[in-house]
Amino acid sequence: MATLPLPDYKDKASFVSSMSRITNHDKAMVAWRFDRFKALLNNKDLVAGSEKEAKAFLLTAREEFTLQRNKPRAYDHAFLDIGYGVTISGPHLVMRMTSALDVQPDDKVLEVGTGSGYQSAILAHLSNNVNSVEIIEPLHERTKAVYKKLVEAGNAVYQNVHLKSGDGYHGWEENGPYNKIIVTCAIDHIPPPLLKQLAPNGVMVIPVGPPGKQTLLKVQKSVDADGKVTINRTDVYNGRRSVSFVPFTKEGGGTWSGKGNR
Amino acid sequence: MSGLPPRVTPDHAARRHSFLLAVFLIAGAIIGLQITIMRLYAISGWAHFGSLVVSVAMFGFGFASTVMCLGRDLFERRLEEIARLALLLFGPLTVLGNVMAQNAQFNPIFLLADNRQILNLILNLLAYAAPFLVGAILLGICFLAGRHRFQLTYAADMTGSGVTGLLCLTAMEWLMPEHLLLLPLLLWWGGALAWFRAWGDRRSPWMVSLSGVVSVLLLFLLPQIQVSPYKGVSYAAKFPDAQRLYQDAGPHGLLEIYSSSYFHFAPGLSDMASLTMGELPKNTYISLYVDSDGPIGIMKAIPTEQNDYYRFLPMSMPYLLHPQPESVFVVQFGGGISTRVALASGAKHVTVAEGNPMIPEAFSQEAIRTFTGDLLGDPRLTLAPMDGHLFIRSSDQRFQVIDLSLADSTGLSSPGGFSVTEKYLYTRETMTAYMNALLPGGVLAVTVWNKEDPPKSTLRLFNTLAAAGRATAGELTANSFYVVQVFLSTTTVLYKKGGFTPQELARLDAHAREMAFDVVYRPGERFQGDAQTLLGGFRDVVLGSKTGATPTEPKPGAADAEHPQPAVAEEAAGEIAEEGVDLSVPSLYRLMLDRMMHHEKLDEIHTYPFDISPLTDDRPYFAGFVRLGDMLSFVNRLEVISDEWGYLLLWLTLGQSAMAGALLLSMPILFGWRTIFAPQPGKLGILGYFAALGLGYILVEVALIGKFISALGNQVISTSVLITGMLISTGLGSLASGSITERASAIMPRIFLAIAAILTLYGVALEAWLPVIGTLSWRTTACILLLFPPAFLMGFPFATGMGWLAKLGKEPFFLWAWGINGMFSVMGAVLVPIIAVNMGLSANLYLAGILYLLAWPCFFALLKPSPAASRASGA
Repeated sequence: MATLPLPDYKDKASFVSSMSRITNHDKAMVAWRFDRFKALLNNKDLVAGSEKEAKAFLLTAREEFTLQRNKPRAYDHAFLDIGYGVTISGPHLVMRMTSALDVQPDDKVLEVGTGSGYQSAILAHLSNNVNSVEIIEPLHERTKAVYKKLVEAGNAVYQNVHLKSGDGYHGWEENGPYNKIIVTCAIDHIPPPLLKQLAPNGVMVIPVGPPGKQTLLKVQKSVDADGKVTINRTDVYNGRRSVSFVPFTKEGGGTWSGKGNR
Repeated sequence: MSGLPPRVTPDHAARRHSFLLAVFLIAGAIIGLQITIMRLYAISGWAHFGSLVVSVAMFGFGFASTVMCLGRDLFERRLEEIARLALLLFGPLTVLGNVMAQNAQFNPIFLLADNRQILNLILNLLAYAAPFLVGAILLGICFLAGRHRFQLTYAADMTGSGVTGLLCLTAMEWLMPEHLLLLPLLLWWGGALAWFRAWGDRRSPWMVSLSGVVSVLLLFLLPQIQVSPYKGVSYAAKFPDAQRLYQDAGPHGLLEIYSSSYFHFAPGLSDMASLTMGELPKNTYISLYVDSDGPIGIMKAIPTEQNDYYRFLPMSMPYLLHPQPESVFVVQFGGGISTRVALASGAKHVTVAEGNPMIPEAFSQEAIRTFTGDLLGDPRLTLAPMDGHLFIRSSDQRFQVIDLSLADSTGLSSPGGFSVTEKYLYTRETMTAYMNALLPGGVLAVTVWNKEDPPKSTLRLFNTLAAAGRATAGELTANSFYVVQVFLSTTTVLYKKGGFTPQELARLDAHAREMAFDVVYRPGERFQGDAQTLLGGFRDVVLGSKTGATPTEPKPGAADAEHPQPAVAEEAAGEIAEEGVDLSVPSLYRLMLDRMMHHEKLDEIHTYPFDISPLTDDRPYFAGFVRLGDMLSFVNRLEVISDEWGYLLLWLTLGQSAMAGALLLSMPILFGWRTIFAPQPGKLGILGYFAALGLGYILVEVALIGKFISALGNQVISTSVLITGMLISTGLGSLASGSITERASAIMPRIFLAIAAILTLYGVALEAWLPVIGTLSWRTTACILLLFPPAFLMGFPFATGMGWLAKLGKEPFFLWAWGINGMFSVMGAVLVPIIAVNMGLSANLYLAGILYLLAWPCFFALLKPSPAASRASGA
């Protein structure tokens, strides 16, 4: 896994200075990212002492995945519009979901709903095999171009990300099974194909519920010694929060439009 | 006496008739507009916000009366010119207002986070306020012009409103929703022509006809319905391969059926289905939407070799105990999933109820019939064309299995909060009826969505079932229930008449294990956890300060665009503490069900932060789970209870109604109390009188109809018929009141007493009377007969009061009294569901009875002669 060294993050000044040596990220953004990082720890969206997730967050330039007009708000505690009627989730939610997954370097990961590409970028720092499916074709093309540009600029770590355009409900069977599945758009049930593509003892994190208010569900597929499979569902926030995602499938506007006769 | 120019009141008989016809039609146009807007709102947006918009728009009446009261001289002097202008404007404003509102869509769920949504809501309010304001001025002018024969004028107003209720129903049958505004436009045009004829105006009919043509052209050229992109059907319509297979519109709503390979529907399907079955059936569902809400899955006839699929649905559980049952009752057909499961389980005969006639009609269409393998044509099936609760209460049939699955969508996944609507399928009385209709050993299976966290509706359902169980099974209750759940999917309650045997329990346990269903209640197992910690944890999270902030949409200006700053400080509020405490839904269910089924420590479970009391026929609501005393603690965290917004919106509407009402009431007092009203005695009495009547009438109308609907079902049609019956009865009462004007002081007290007595009697006895009246046609007749006495009598006080104001020369009060009456009616319409949710529908009737008693002394204050009248009579 081609990744950067862990920057010094004992305080903001050290972090900014350290990042300026290993990346060409904008210094103001790097400083802001550090502040957000402290907030994530404070809120337990990042588990204290979990260095790999901390590193993933600190090395990922969220501003590269937002719309130009939203860059000044890239590290707000908020989700932001990315066009096509969809959003990039707030950093707190991205990291809470990432922490719940506990991705290991050799894990094969599937993301449903590539969106801006920010979540898969975080995952690319944690696993060398990240697969992501996006239903909105033009958004898929745009995000692919963002990755191409980032890789060409020397961010080799993003070569870990494999993108596909299609209905994520059906997963990406050819590349499965997956140790970890993360769904970043809302649905009112767990898609059976995703459960099927989840490897034994795999974990899926998925927002389930009606539009506007979902519960972040952690699904664990366990296999006992006799080969018996059990599925366990728990609330990532333990009943303390709901989340808000755009629906599983939604028209984007632009060239991606349905043929519904309504 | 009046000081009006002689031309103001039409004199010749023919003109008087034209005038009354104008009142009849104009009143009809206004009520027609109100009903149509509610209909359009239900399709394009959210019905409960439709109520808010209409109630705000109705304040046009209060505003108009105030303005007209203050500027009475002007209105009387320029009555014809103002009426002409208002009549020319009403039609175009109606169409354009609707277009503007439909284009300013909002999603309730984002109201708190996104200022644009609030702006759009305000635009909606303004857009509809305009035609209502003009309509109110028109009606005010009608009252002013017809005040000397007010009983007749008011009777025309009430019957016009009443008859329009039925006309709307007919229009819904014949017109597509986007053209429904044609009815109020037609009534307006007719009303305008009649008005001009009454005044002998020959030029204006041409102008108003031109305005009518323009309005109709606008109606057909501009889009009158823009379905919100956040409604279920909008998502469906945008799937790349979506096809609308069927569409039908009627009084029961707009029904649409779509097909798409992108439909991903799995109502409670076990997680194990995909792991156990080799291949899941593909494209199993098409989707049904009613008023753009849904989807309700319509299941196809799957190949026999894939029949195993049914086992993975929770609706199959009762058939573990009764394979191939002799008789099954499916409470609601809906998309037909439960019916299909019953037939696939080998049921010999299935009776299925469906109250919405559009659904069987849709299933009889070629495309749907082919997809479903002509499900409704199955010879083993009998369709009962009525609501399930009415069937079970009136039938003496007995069943081995009764299934109530995902019926009437208990609203557990409705964005923007579910409306405060009556759910008679789920009340304690109906549950008791289901249980009584089981054969010995029979099973009742209730499956509902389980998507609330923390849960509310499901706990109410459990409590209702436990109460019905105690009423039916007594000591056996604890041994008669078995409950499973899948977190964020569905929960299924099984009730077995006579209790479960150990063998049956073992069979259910094995099935639950195989399906990965969580058993949260079974006979013989008690809750072992720490109830105090669990309930305390929920209280802390829901009511306390430990709740995390919900991520929100970006707030404009939250960060400086040039110098972005981190929002670290704001995060402190998002602290999530005490993560170690288990606040999982299954743990809570285990505790609650244990206490409910064993009827123990009920005080303890009622410390849960939400009201979980059972649904009854008198309080048939899932909404209203936030207790009154806790409301303020949610003010800053409304997102925590977003599924309660439909109910909270009622409080908001009541609050703004009260404020707007107070403001409008105070205007004549501030500007005219000394000058206009000073010489008039009995001011407070008049205020109290018309306030009591306005509030009292609407409380009776809404509550009584609510009660009758429980016995009649078929909500849309019954409501229209009953409202029409009530308004016409009141119109007749108003007409009859003309004969008692001179003896009013002797007769009115008896009328007030009679109204209060009837309402009290109805509050106490209706629930016992109605269900025992045999067939539906008899019940319908009984309801109309029962409606007549109070409605007829309630026609007397308003007409008599207004008539005496005119008679006594208390001109300044005339319009003000009408405005007061209207404003309190608006408040009352909102108050009814609030009172019903908290105290039951009957409480509205008692309160109305008290209000009519209070009107009694006020009436005598109203009768105090004004000095001018005294002088006149003295002279």
